[in-house]
Amino acid sequence: MRATWSSPSRPRLPFVNRHTCGTDTYELVAYGGNVLARTITHALVGLEPRRVEVEAHLQRGAPAFAIVGLADRACQEAKERVRSGIASSELEWPRGCRIIVNLAPAGLRKEGSGFDLPIALALLAASSQLPPDSLRGLAAFGELALDGRLRPVAGALVAAEGARRGGIQRLLCAADSAPQVALAGIEPVGVYHLAEAVAYLRGERDPPELLDPLDDSAQLDAAPDLADVRGQERARRALEVAAAGGHNLLLAGPPGTGKTMLARRLPGILPLLDDDAALEVTRIHSVAGVLPPGGGLIRVPPFRAPHHSASTAAIVGGGSGPRPGEASLAHGGVLFLDEFPEFPRPALEALRQPLEDGVVTVARVAGRAVFPARFQLVATMNLCPCGARGDSSARCACTPQRVQRYREKLSRALLDRFDLALTVPRSRGEELAGPPAEPSAAVRDRVLAARRRLAGPPLERTDEAQHLLTCAVERVPLSGRGRARVARVAATIAALAAEEVVGTAHLAEALSYRPPAELTE
Amino acid sequence: MSELAVAAFAAASDAHVLDAPRTQRFERFRRAFDEEAFRRDLDARGFRWVARSDRAFPPLLRSIHDPPPGLFVRGARELELLAQPSVAIVGARACSPYGASVATNLGRELAAAGVPVVSGLARGVDAAAHRGALASGSTVAVLGCGIDRDYPRAHAVLANEVASRGLIVSEYPPGVEPAPWRFPARNRIVAGLAQATVVVEARERSGALITADLALDEGRDVLAVPGEITSQLSRGTNHLLRLGAIPVTCAADVLEAIGVEPPAAREPPTLERRLELVRGLVADAATTADELARQTGHSAGAVAAALAELELLGLVEEAEGVYRAKA
Repeated sequence: MRATWSSPSRPRLPFVNRHTCGTDTYELVAYGGNVLARTITHALVGLEPRRVEVEAHLQRGAPAFAIVGLADRACQEAKERVRSGIASSELEWPRGCRIIVNLAPAGLRKEGSGFDLPIALALLAASSQLPPDSLRGLAAFGELALDGRLRPVAGALVAAEGARRGGIQRLLCAADSAPQVALAGIEPVGVYHLAEAVAYLRGERDPPELLDPLDDSAQLDAAPDLADVRGQERARRALEVAAAGGHNLLLAGPPGTGKTMLARRLPGILPLLDDDAALEVTRIHSVAGVLPPGGGLIRVPPFRAPHHSASTAAIVGGGSGPRPGEASLAHGGVLFLDEFPEFPRPALEALRQPLEDGVVTVARVAGRAVFPARFQLVATMNLCPCGARGDSSARCACTPQRVQRYREKLSRALLDRFDLALTVPRSRGEELAGPPAEPSAAVRDRVLAARRRLAGPPLERTDEAQHLLTCAVERVPLSGRGRARVARVAATIAALAAEEVVGTAHLAEALSYRPPAELTE
Repeated sequence: MSELAVAAFAAASDAHVLDAPRTQRFERFRRAFDEEAFRRDLDARGFRWVARSDRAFPPLLRSIHDPPPGLFVRGARELELLAQPSVAIVGARACSPYGASVATNLGRELAAAGVPVVSGLARGVDAAAHRGALASGSTVAVLGCGIDRDYPRAHAVLANEVASRGLIVSEYPPGVEPAPWRFPARNRIVAGLAQATVVVEARERSGALITADLALDEGRDVLAVPGEITSQLSRGTNHLLRLGAIPVTCAADVLEAIGVEPPAAREPPTLERRLELVRGLVADAATTADELARQTGHSAGAVAAALAELELLGLVEEAEGVYRAKA
């Protein structure tokens, strides 16, 4: 970061004068000040950080300010935010010279507002308002407000991971992003204001203390409790089995029978995410910008419930600089699709890849991004478009053709992905008036115990159970995939019952959760 | 033989024609009609034609007051199937799970007793009856369009199964499109082929009641399956019962009406106590799994297992979350 102009015959630049900003008066030539300065930041490509060098160069010429290096619109608008932010921080805007900011590598498309802070710092360093070496070993990431305050930007966790991989020890960012940065294993320098950042880099003050991230247990307490669901023993049981085995679940039935209520209580009975999974989930949520401010690692499995008007790109991810969709945000948790058949058919079919492989591949002309998307799918549907079918107190007005069209939206291939499917009938009045049911905590203990057993060696089937499965393959009939599915669910049920082998009772129960005949016809 | 010409003329002129009309239009048509080529074409497609004057034409159908000039036949079975004592099962297209279940069970048990089930291949009760009959015996589907049309399209697979183990018949030559007026005409053949007609579920103004009326006109027995008095879908059948139709409570009622000896009842399988308990409760009244869990005091998982085993044994069936005993 040395001056590029060293010839003493150069004339003085016009911005050389009176201004003092705490320490020195700067003067480009006479004081040997910098005219080229660099900061390091990171751009996001999907979930991957890419190192970007922000170079600021001051040159003689007509006053101008240009950002080059494939910056998108939000990035171009950084000019105005940086100019106002510097002015609001009582720092000097380099006047009367051409300012060129280059975002290298120039071939990589840059998006978003995270470049504001590194651009401002590079400019300040180039104009000698920061000590020449102060930016060494440091990356910066953040958006500037017009008054100089720093705003958090989506993807701080990923940027911090990029910095760590690049051997950088510290990341200068908005104070709200600091807990995320700390998760990546590097030192966050969280500041509230550009002036604070400058003071820190000049060695005038320490970075502010960070708030402790929210406690994990507080996250779990916020989940709704199963005790609220009265009656519906069969559906509750299916939910428990789904939680224990991580199975996909389809709940069909007339409206108002508690399908949605049950589904929303699934995360509350799932085990908390382990460290690796929690970091991965937090990373995805960081890139999508949906992390709560000040929150630490996401420990409770996420629950995503996109509305059925969602587009295919919104569900599986997309955009020119690909961003994760709901399927990826549900990674490690539950993707809940209420009114399943109302979703556009392409969006549903697009879910088949993540259901099979656990990842979403978004291919664009500019490149492709792979997002993890291993989620548990929970879907609800009515039995007919008007919803009255299956409800003895209402009369269905749907024509057979309409019912058929409604059900045909679920391809067999998609229906085959549901390990458990059941029809939820309407509860009776006395059930709804009954005492609270078993709370989530009790169910969760059983689920945890079953998961531990399932993590061990696979459970054997008894001869009788094997015979029953063979009979079922012929009588029901079951496809190869269907057979494997029943066997899997039966193992989960045996694990829930703390049994060593899969018996007929377990297998029979698993058979009772196959998709209802009226959906598969 | 001019009956084939009459059938072809009816299709060409889009009219209900039963006998050779004495019009110049028909004369011209008959002279131009190449019967040999028509028959060759039918043979090539594996279809058969049985004329009214043919010995193989079902006598019951010949005896109605407006028999068709003949029948086009698709399917592998011999034509004697049409002459066997048979039962028509008809009902609502938008039937309830109860109606579908009853139709399937009746179809299966009648076919098992060697009585072909005649119906119209429509959605709902018709399809359920055909499916039930195919599970244990034979069935005849009567179409209101050409026998090659597979109407409704959703039943193309079912139609193929009927053709492989039963017969599909129509008075219209292959290629004729379905039209609203052809269905009541089709119903007279359904009623005409069968010795008795069973109405499973029907609203107040239902096509199934037309079939019942046609059967009564020809002096055939009409039976009806009683339904809930509060259900719209039972209005038609309960009305028939009030008028004196024979109530159907099991397949044996139907067999008795047409004078066929019911097959010896098979021994009900002996069940474990937990299965017998659940089966007994389901047999008392159709019910949900939750209700059964409450009545038996067993866990939801145990009840689910018992129900699945009973389903595999063919003793219980589920539709829309409600479990019913299978006869």
